[in-house]
Amino acid sequence: MIAGTLPGGRRIDLVVLGCALGLAALGVLFVASATTGTRFQGLAARQAIWIAVGLCAMVAAILFDYRMLLKFSFAIYCACLLPLVYLLAFGARIQNVRSWIRFGQFQFQPAELAKIATALLVAYLFENEDDGRLRTSAIFKLGVIVGLPVLLVFLQPDMGLALTFLPLIFVGLYFGGLPAKGWVAIFLIVAVVAGAGWFLLKDYQKARIGTFLNPDADVLGSGYQVRQSKIAVGSGGFSGKGFRGGTQSQLRFLPVQHTDFILAVIAEEWGFLGVILVLGLFAALFLRALKLAQTARDRGGVFLVLGLTGMMFFSVVINASMMIGLAPTTGIPLPFVSYGGSSVATTFLAIGLILGVQYRRFANA
Amino acid sequence: MLRIREDRQAVARRVEIARVAVGAMLSLLAVAYWTIQIVRGDYYFSLSENNRIRAVKITAPRGYVLDRQGVPLVENEPAYTLHLYRREAKDLDASVAFIVDLLGLNPEAVRSRVERGRRDPEFVPIPIAENLGIEEVAAVQARAAEHPEFAITVSQRRLYKHAGAAAHALGYLSEATPEQIKNSNNVYEVGDWIGQKGVEAAYERLLAGVSGERRVIVDSHGREVAEEARLEATPGQNLFLTLDAKLQDVAEEYFKDKVGSVVALDPRTGEILALVSSPSYDPNWFTRRVTAAEWNGLLENPDRPLQNRAIQNMYSPGSVIKPFLAYGALARGLVDPEWRVFCPGHATFYGREFHCHKKGGHGSVNLRDAIKESCDVYFYTLGQKLGVDRIHEILTGFGFGTPTGVDLAFEKAGLVPSEEWARTKRGARWYPSETISVSIGQGPLLVTSMQIARGLAALLESGRLPTPHLFYSSQDPRTGAQLRYKAEFVDGPGIPPEKLAIVKNGMWAVVNEPGGTAFGSRAQGIEMGGKTGTAQVVGHDTTIKAGADKSKLDTHAWFAGFAPVSDPQIVIVVFVENGGHGNLAAAPLAKALVEARFGTGAPASAPTVPSVRAAATDHEGVARAARRETR
Repeated sequence: MIAGTLPGGRRIDLVVLGCALGLAALGVLFVASATTGTRFQGLAARQAIWIAVGLCAMVAAILFDYRMLLKFSFAIYCACLLPLVYLLAFGARIQNVRSWIRFGQFQFQPAELAKIATALLVAYLFENEDDGRLRTSAIFKLGVIVGLPVLLVFLQPDMGLALTFLPLIFVGLYFGGLPAKGWVAIFLIVAVVAGAGWFLLKDYQKARIGTFLNPDADVLGSGYQVRQSKIAVGSGGFSGKGFRGGTQSQLRFLPVQHTDFILAVIAEEWGFLGVILVLGLFAALFLRALKLAQTARDRGGVFLVLGLTGMMFFSVVINASMMIGLAPTTGIPLPFVSYGGSSVATTFLAIGLILGVQYRRFANA
Repeated sequence: MLRIREDRQAVARRVEIARVAVGAMLSLLAVAYWTIQIVRGDYYFSLSENNRIRAVKITAPRGYVLDRQGVPLVENEPAYTLHLYRREAKDLDASVAFIVDLLGLNPEAVRSRVERGRRDPEFVPIPIAENLGIEEVAAVQARAAEHPEFAITVSQRRLYKHAGAAAHALGYLSEATPEQIKNSNNVYEVGDWIGQKGVEAAYERLLAGVSGERRVIVDSHGREVAEEARLEATPGQNLFLTLDAKLQDVAEEYFKDKVGSVVALDPRTGEILALVSSPSYDPNWFTRRVTAAEWNGLLENPDRPLQNRAIQNMYSPGSVIKPFLAYGALARGLVDPEWRVFCPGHATFYGREFHCHKKGGHGSVNLRDAIKESCDVYFYTLGQKLGVDRIHEILTGFGFGTPTGVDLAFEKAGLVPSEEWARTKRGARWYPSETISVSIGQGPLLVTSMQIARGLAALLESGRLPTPHLFYSSQDPRTGAQLRYKAEFVDGPGIPPEKLAIVKNGMWAVVNEPGGTAFGSRAQGIEMGGKTGTAQVVGHDTTIKAGADKSKLDTHAWFAGFAPVSDPQIVIVVFVENGGHGNLAAAPLAKALVEARFGTGAPASAPTVPSVRAAATDHEGVARAARRETR
């Protein structure tokens, strides 16, 4: 509707777009490598289709005024949470969790879309929290907005995905201006909740955390995954064993290598250089996105960019740490790169929203 | 509006901090990857290599064992083992139930094997059943599609072709003991088969060959993906034994229902032509894994089937020792051939009366006749003239009292008494009356059959002691190149032919002259010489051990013979435990062996043997030997 009136000089940011496309291309390449000769062969093509879907969503998000989205963010939020409730009530279990909805051949994780919706509602919340200090009521609202989907996803149960919502709380509190006293209070509350949570976690979830603390204890269980992943990464050395030459990945020592552990495949086959390439692309993307946040026209735009970027950054750090045993294996995919339609498509949607904010940075657009 | 702008600046400041934090976090991650990939890269690289490369041993095919003419005695046959791969099993209990039902296995045994296997990593297959038959293999393979968790592996198993024949010469295989593994510098691993006893043990290294290795690339399930390198195994050498299957058959047949041993060797070289120890055992038991009942049966048999009587059991030689003493006395000039002793059937030495085996006495006998008729009184007198120390000197000269050095383990040395031995080893002084007993092969004197065979060979071969051996030649199965055994000798007494001729003539007479103690066992078409022996089963201990079984008190029967007399090519020592008299129980086999060796026996000539049953057995043996010849 606004596309026809694009004035000259208002171009979308090519650094963000280029990094996103570069990472997505790497993803297709290594999903192909990791699935060669397995029953997953052909997933790379599917990934490419999902990228195309994501790109369409991205373009739509750029062209559609994000201010409209912010205005209706509560409705969107509710609409996106409904499937989660539905899943908990009626969802079929796939790999023991109820997080997928099937559309014919394709499956979709509504929780991924819920992340975007939650980020929108958080941005809308802070659009109006603009008096320079963070009110307790705002903190409370933030907690409820983020807490609800976290709880729903956690019950699926998908701990990894649930965790990826949490950066929104951090973004809200930090950029909203929580004073030092508040951080202390939150730290105490988190400590207590974490203690209590230990009693609510499923056994395998506890086992994973236990494994994180002592990876050598259970070589063939979850510690096995970390160990094999570390071997894959370490054995890649400086320049790697060559594309499709990774013994750890080609001989299937790596667990779920085309999804969560795709970075280990890159690290093994392209070595440290490959890791630097991936981390470098992410660094460029994040630093650029943060810069764009500063230029946003309004507070809602700022918080939208910060929230989306924060969630992505969190996933990258946790996923990359997971590969080398610095974080527990929580099932968080590497944005753009890991195989997974919902993840890839919604990540591009998020990029579209970020670029949309940038696209509309001038007040009178 | 102004308010908002001020706030935007605060946010902008926080974003700047966030950008630094983001950059720092990602840099830290890069450092972490640097540490793992560059600093510890070699370590992880070796781990990844270990992950994917597995060394698989290629067991070298064990060499065959054949007789001197190439008749196979021991070969290998394929053995099928059923393995369970846990990773492929959806429901372990259902799999166990299936296989138990399919093959009719013992469910308890299978379950306990699966339980034991669970301690190993999942990719290690669990052995479920060994030695499957072809039908069982087919049955499992027919259901392979439904039950991929079961797999059949083929390995080589030792096959002793003639069951218990020559078992003591061949030995057997069993799994290497922890001690053997240690002693081998870990060349052997747990579960490897190793030769135990016999030539299987003596020539283990030759037969076993050198195992090779395959370095295979495996996936995370341990499944082989590709072979990276291959070091072929060097197959074991085929071993030709000096044994003559033909003679061995004759001897085995004769000993079917007897306890004792036979040694036949070529006096010129020491080649062992036949070696029997009875009762025997089937070496195949060990490769098929012995059951507890079978094993206990072997161990508890009072006749000790596992023992090689020809080298491990020591006995009194009885009169078989007489030719050696006769020669010794002649050679030392203590007697001349015409020196005579009058035998009234008994004589008194040192205040004790000693009997001759012939109650009425032999009358006046010279050396030759004393051997021929085995006159005890003559040898008592001769022994008294010699004295125990000279007897010791003579007998040790013929190799008694030391192991023969035969290529079999656990050989006993025997015992040749002397005054010094009595003083130092026995701790009770030598009584002169003991010398009288020793001079007819009784008393403390103990020998093995193998020693008699070697001693007799030395006597016939101008004093040269051949080392008895079973190794004829080894053959590389790939090139066919043969390696011949070079006969070894120990120097013995130099024997002047004219003195030997007198003794030999006596031994000829034993078999070939009326009145000789083995006149009944003349061989057809060839002249055999020899000496019978009948050793008393003496001593209080044996009497008690025998208990109710009076047959255990019967005398042991010996015969030591050779043929042809003019140019000896075979020496035969037959020993029948509690067999009665040497002329009746032992000499007939020697005759049969000589006839088989030279192909002179006729199927019609049944040797004179004491019992009808034994006669039938022996007749068959000879007949079989004859059939072989005419083929």
